[in-house]
Amino acid sequence: MSQAIIQVKNLKRYFKVYKKQPGLWGSVKSLFRRKYETVKAVDNISFEIKQGEVVGFIGQNGAGKTTTLKVLSGLLYPTEGEVGVLDFDPWDRKPEFQKQFALVMGQKNQLWWDLPAMETFLLNKAIYEIPDEQFRKTLDKLVDLLKVKDIINIQVRKLSLGQRMKCELIAALLHNPKVLFLDEPTIGLDVVMQKNLRDFIKSYNREFKATIILTSHYMDDVKELCERAIIIDKGKIIFDGKLKKIIDKYARNKILSLVFSEEVSEKELKKFGQIKDFNQSESRYTATLLVSRKKAAQMASELLKQLPVEDLNIEEPPIEAIIREVFQSGNA
Amino acid sequence: MHKYLMVLKQYWQNIFVYRVSFVLWRFRQFLSSLMALTIWTVIFTNQEIAFGYQQKQMISYVFLVTVLYNIISTTSLNDLTGEIYSGKLSTKLVKPINIFLALGFQDLADKLLNIGFVIVESIILFLIFKPSFVFPSLSYALIFMIWVVLATLIAFMINLLFGSIGFWSRDSWGPRFLYYMILDFTAGKLYPLDILPQVIQKAIYFTPFPYMSYVQIQLFLGRLKTDQILPITLSMVTWTIGLIFISRKIWRKGLKNYTAMGQ
Repeated sequence: MSQAIIQVKNLKRYFKVYKKQPGLWGSVKSLFRRKYETVKAVDNISFEIKQGEVVGFIGQNGAGKTTTLKVLSGLLYPTEGEVGVLDFDPWDRKPEFQKQFALVMGQKNQLWWDLPAMETFLLNKAIYEIPDEQFRKTLDKLVDLLKVKDIINIQVRKLSLGQRMKCELIAALLHNPKVLFLDEPTIGLDVVMQKNLRDFIKSYNREFKATIILTSHYMDDVKELCERAIIIDKGKIIFDGKLKKIIDKYARNKILSLVFSEEVSEKELKKFGQIKDFNQSESRYTATLLVSRKKAAQMASELLKQLPVEDLNIEEPPIEAIIREVFQSGNA
Repeated sequence: MHKYLMVLKQYWQNIFVYRVSFVLWRFRQFLSSLMALTIWTVIFTNQEIAFGYQQKQMISYVFLVTVLYNIISTTSLNDLTGEIYSGKLSTKLVKPINIFLALGFQDLADKLLNIGFVIVESIILFLIFKPSFVFPSLSYALIFMIWVVLATLIAFMINLLFGSIGFWSRDSWGPRFLYYMILDFTAGKLYPLDILPQVIQKAIYFTPFPYMSYVQIQLFLGRLKTDQILPITLSMVTWTIGLIFISRKIWRKGLKNYTAMGQ
């Protein structure tokens, strides 16, 4: 089963945005005449996703990640292009389609604020027409996996952010969707909770062979969950492939971490590469160097020869740093 | 159907959380009815006939119209504009549920709850003002019921249209307030429309408002001629179908314009 479940071809989604001139006078003028500007939230992107894949959408704020997810969910009408999910046109919003996917938005909740989460679960059971037996089984399993047994009967507004997010996930997964769109699922959660959710998403993917698209600001989410990443910048895809390949493609440097047995001068070190960190205090002499990837091995051996190196470590730069660099350099 | 009954039940549960707010809302409606009836009682203190109505007729009219108006008018969709504009509608749009039916059931839940209170309030008002009226014949009662259903649909559609403003803008309260004000004066809530000058009456009949309480009560009180029934029914049906058509069109357009907030 390696057939594409999600197909996006030349998708464009533009928004007309009202541009207000600053100040009170600008507001008065806007009463009579308004200037509009077209924002290209998604600008001609194409990709395919196969069943069971977990794909991470990476991009800065306003890059077009969420817009793409909303088009795939049938919430937004594409300005141009073709979109197919599970062989449906999402915009038709056919119940048969809607019963097979779920959209979880970290910043918007479907839970009824004033009622316990259980009430939303029961409403979803009715809406998705989930048989009693399946509902009970799935609920038990999800409640167990996410450890929320004690809180599903407490008013949602009295829950913590993390507890609420877990309940949001349960509400979205009760109908066992085959396709899952997760928009910033870990936003605002503490590190432990983020890890819990990630583990859960992983096991859901494994168990249901679910296809998952995930957007996140946290690189850890993407690193841990997704083999494949799509980097979007200003509405365009600038990278689509294995996460590891980003390093090969964009990382220009390697990081050399050094520990010296005696003091060395900054001047001496400079010959080998760009100094990122230099620490010479009391008994510890450490430094971090950025060295071009091609020369990394050669520089390491030179360093060993010329300086009193006690310990040396060659590392790839962290993926977040690479991506930051990609965005800062105005892409590839 | 089960899913829509669940929507109805959840709406109730939600309202019960804020019961004080609901009770106060009902109290406000009650005071408004009480005021209208008091004013008319005062007007009749020194005269037996005013605007061609005897005191008893007028009190009966105002009593019945406040009861009916409370049932017909829709409040459950007041938050719809905000829901659309803020993108909260998204969570409903992605689910296999018909949004119009869901809103309809939400409105039905609101109406059923209000009716319960309206009955109690009416008993109190009845005991204070002692209106007298004869219940209409079975056939008239049937027409009355159909007219009430049509009026409810018209009110619902108009509110749906106000809600759809949310696809383009956040402020729907300006036009909505204006609508409620106009409705107060033209649906016959404060006085029977036939006390107005002919020209104004004619103009009002070009709007859907007189069909949203006034004609029903006139029928109930036997103040309509038999040959008026068919044209009024036709007008109401036309308004209902017309408004359904317009709201569908606007919603379709609105959904295409829907930004679901954020990019």
